[in-house]
Amino acid sequence: MSRFDRYLWNGGAGLLALLWVLPLLFAVWTAFHPSAYEANFTLSAPITLENFVKAWNAAPFARYFLNTFLLVTGITGAQFVLCSLAAYGFARFRFPGRGILFSLVLLQLLVMPDILIVENYKIIRAFDAVDTLQGIALPYIASGFGVFLIRQTFMTVPRELDDAARIEGAGPLSILWRVYVPLAKPTYLAYGLVSVSYHWNNFLWPLIVTNSTETRPVTVGLSVFATTDSGVEWSVINAATLMTSAPLLIAFLLFQRQFVQSFMRAGIK
Amino acid sequence: MFDKLFKGTAAAVTLGLLTAIPAHAVDLQFYFPVAVGGGAANTIETLTQDYMKDHPDVKIDPIYAGSYQDTITKVITASRGGNAPQIAVALSTDMFTLLDDGLILPFDNYVKTDADKAWLEGFYPAFMENSQVDGKTWGIPFQRSTPVLYWNKEAFKEAGLDPNTPPASWDEMVAMGKKLTKTDANGNVTQWGVRIPSSGFPYWLFQGLVIENGGKLANAEGTETYFDSPEVVSALQYLVDLSTKDKVMEPGILDWGTTPKDFFERRSAMVWTTTGNLTNMHDNAPFDFGVAMLPQNKQRGAPTGGGNFYLLKGSSDAQLAAAVDFIKWITAPAQSAVWTKATGYVAPRPATWETSAMQDYAKGFPQVLVARDQLQYAKAELSTHENQRVTQILNDALEAAITGQKTPQEALTQAQAKADQVLAAYR
Repeated sequence: MSRFDRYLWNGGAGLLALLWVLPLLFAVWTAFHPSAYEANFTLSAPITLENFVKAWNAAPFARYFLNTFLLVTGITGAQFVLCSLAAYGFARFRFPGRGILFSLVLLQLLVMPDILIVENYKIIRAFDAVDTLQGIALPYIASGFGVFLIRQTFMTVPRELDDAARIEGAGPLSILWRVYVPLAKPTYLAYGLVSVSYHWNNFLWPLIVTNSTETRPVTVGLSVFATTDSGVEWSVINAATLMTSAPLLIAFLLFQRQFVQSFMRAGIK
Repeated sequence: MFDKLFKGTAAAVTLGLLTAIPAHAVDLQFYFPVAVGGGAANTIETLTQDYMKDHPDVKIDPIYAGSYQDTITKVITASRGGNAPQIAVALSTDMFTLLDDGLILPFDNYVKTDADKAWLEGFYPAFMENSQVDGKTWGIPFQRSTPVLYWNKEAFKEAGLDPNTPPASWDEMVAMGKKLTKTDANGNVTQWGVRIPSSGFPYWLFQGLVIENGGKLANAEGTETYFDSPEVVSALQYLVDLSTKDKVMEPGILDWGTTPKDFFERRSAMVWTTTGNLTNMHDNAPFDFGVAMLPQNKQRGAPTGGGNFYLLKGSSDAQLAAAVDFIKWITAPAQSAVWTKATGYVAPRPATWETSAMQDYAKGFPQVLVARDQLQYAKAELSTHENQRVTQILNDALEAAITGQKTPQEALTQAQAKADQVLAAYR
């Protein structure tokens, strides 16, 4: 690659990065300044935390954060267990109907979850799980995407390792746990990130299936700021947005290297 | 240790039984949306608490359900899932949708005594237009609004206009707008004359223009639209001309949410927006402002907007009777005044305006009366069967004309043809 090419690449990447980060910078600017400076960028503008106080008090955010945390850890944990077992079955066992069953799982990738809202609601109600965290999580834990992704990774594991473990006397579950799961770590990390950020941001289904503060996630708290009838207060809404997305942003920054590496290896981009 | 634990549990159970017997004979769920700032959800919760204090046998669970859009999704999902709430506040224009899906009940079954009938007749007729069909009442007006014109008195003074006289007609609005539009040395406009926001749901403010122009968008039965009638087309022509010919309004799609901000920062000297903004304007406008009825062309006019109470199917008669009782209570003058003051919504009953609380409020803030006075000219907001699809067709046509992709005539003729297709099934 010539030097000119490299400048072009770096320049282009810088430009894209700037475009990507601009809304975030605007959010940070408005969140830390009084609302008079929303569209008025003077460096001497007074810095304030009042927007955060206002946002925090507009909804029971402490409880919402706890709920979201429990929800995403619960969903991701359950997805890991279920998807690993299913993926292991599809990757390494021969049984009648395997092809059809696997294509049914893949079919799930094509169906928009929003279409299923009413049916999911009926099922959750039959389980008497309306207005519970389990109720929010249940429709998502058998994830077709997760099964597919982990199966593909398991398929790349050399048979020889499997055989070696078998000779040592390991049963199927023990092979899964000691051979496949450790080798698929990057995939788990990548899939976990996708899943956590999806469920952290999910709004409509949790709103519909829950009714009380004790079960609702932060996105529901965030939605009280969408006041279309009376004009939007950008400074408060941006403070709330930063507040609710901060844990994810910070976690990503901390583990950035691992995430990027695992994405490269797992092939999700 | 075990003994102690056992005794404690037994005591708790006994206590629980004792307190459980007299209370909560009826449980109600109440879904509500929030579309204004300033703690509307808290006001609803406080009002519900007050009701329960007076009615210990009723337990109401007020459930925040997101925006209007989210609320209707939640209501429909829960109803189809066999878990309908008893009470929901949703857009008055969702009436046909809820009716077609067979999810709501008329209030008429619960309006028996003379006092009940007087209550039902005590709402402004403009608000009842969107609430009644086929001689039955399906919605009770609650958080209702109507668009008004806000004007910056300082800007009027600077432009040599009388700061206390807003435009009364379309022509005056254009003439004043021209004086109010200011450009800097480079020819960039620093202050526009007027702003009629057009993002998201442009049909609403546009409907104001149509009524003023002597036309209408749809019939009361929600089965016919008149998008290509001459009154509608020339109303759209006027709206488009404001930017293209008269150059008093910023061209392109104008955002709804930033309209108050735009007004505060003096980028527009006059804005059309909902009365739901009154409290926000009152608290945040850095200059003296006035509130006026929308200007007239052939007549005065404005659409109504906002949410109604609905009574959902799928509950026991005792629950529904209690639900209606609660709705009666919360729309009574004293409670309605609390709600109006907290949110800026127009109180939907003349009786509310006669309470001393509202009279004191209006004395300190006379602008609130404009919306009330405009109600005599107001008409029902556009609402048809398949309402979401039909309004979307009109919105798309309006946006196409505003952005100059189509002429008003072209856009509206096509929109009418599409709406005819959708509505043919209901005629």
